[in-house]
Amino acid sequence: MQPGDSARPALTQLGPVVFGEDQIRHRVAELAADLSTDYIDKNPVVIGVLTGTVMFMADLLRMLTIPVEVDFMAISRFGPPQQTHGAVRVLKDLEIPLGGRHAVLVEDLVDTGLTLSHILGTLQARGPASLRVCALLSRPQRRLIKVPLDYVGFDAPDDFLVGYGMHYRQQYRQLPYIAACRVNGAVP
Amino acid sequence: MDAVENPNPPKAFVHPVEAERTRLLSFYGIVWEYELRTFPLATDEEGNVLEAITPDFYLPGHGLFIELTTLRHTLARLKHRKIRRMRQLYPDVSIKLIDRKQMIALLVKYGMEADLPNIIGNPADFDAAG
Repeated sequence: MQPGDSARPALTQLGPVVFGEDQIRHRVAELAADLSTDYIDKNPVVIGVLTGTVMFMADLLRMLTIPVEVDFMAISRFGPPQQTHGAVRVLKDLEIPLGGRHAVLVEDLVDTGLTLSHILGTLQARGPASLRVCALLSRPQRRLIKVPLDYVGFDAPDDFLVGYGMHYRQQYRQLPYIAACRVNGAVP
Repeated sequence: MDAVENPNPPKAFVHPVEAERTRLLSFYGIVWEYELRTFPLATDEEGNVLEAITPDFYLPGHGLFIELTTLRHTLARLKHRKIRRMRQLYPDVSIKLIDRKQMIALLVKYGMEADLPNIIGNPADFDAAG
């Protein structure tokens, strides 16, 4: 699938590729190597936050060379007033107890830090032996809340990004690369 | 120069984007204060404040001031200059400027692009933004 393929209406809003398939594969392998070294003999719980991390998690896990346990969680996301009520909620909780365990939280993109900060607070309250964050993408220029990122794949540009798990209106998650997405003709 | 508490903080938000920002912060449980502090940037010989900045928000839990602007970059020069001056005069104070482009990106991220004209401004400006 190529960006801008006019035969596929769903893709007509795609802008240029920002991180290509090979580039991602290479960097994910490096992150997996780092995690495999740092967590040898620790049997960490690797936690993915649904849904954006699915592709990253799948590739990262397959490149790890150490035993791990895997779990996922989902939280409600901010949105339009008519769809967002009250505060953030855990929609799917972890099944593995974290008390005393080494945990690695995997995120697709960290920009303001608001979501990650909330999730970290939730997980820290469960008493893990350690808790680190592995993010495929970081946008430090947009950071509002300081959050610790222990493993980062790439610093991301300001473009609105889709692909490799990230979406625009739930589309483009399946793309094997990460591309800018145009909205109303602009790349915001 | 020292920051001063705003004796008459506004009862309502000046701009719709400020209301959206508070909704976002509150959603994630972030405590915020609205226009509570003013930072003098220039004074005359008698100490009268000639120029000041009152950041839109303060996040007490994070020690961070936030200033928002919906102006396009060329029109936001004054605000950028004030922020630079504030950082010079108050180096221990953290302030983050969230510009128009970042706000558009954030609203799109949260599926609120249909609300952009109401929150950010003229749709024609939005179409040309980026």
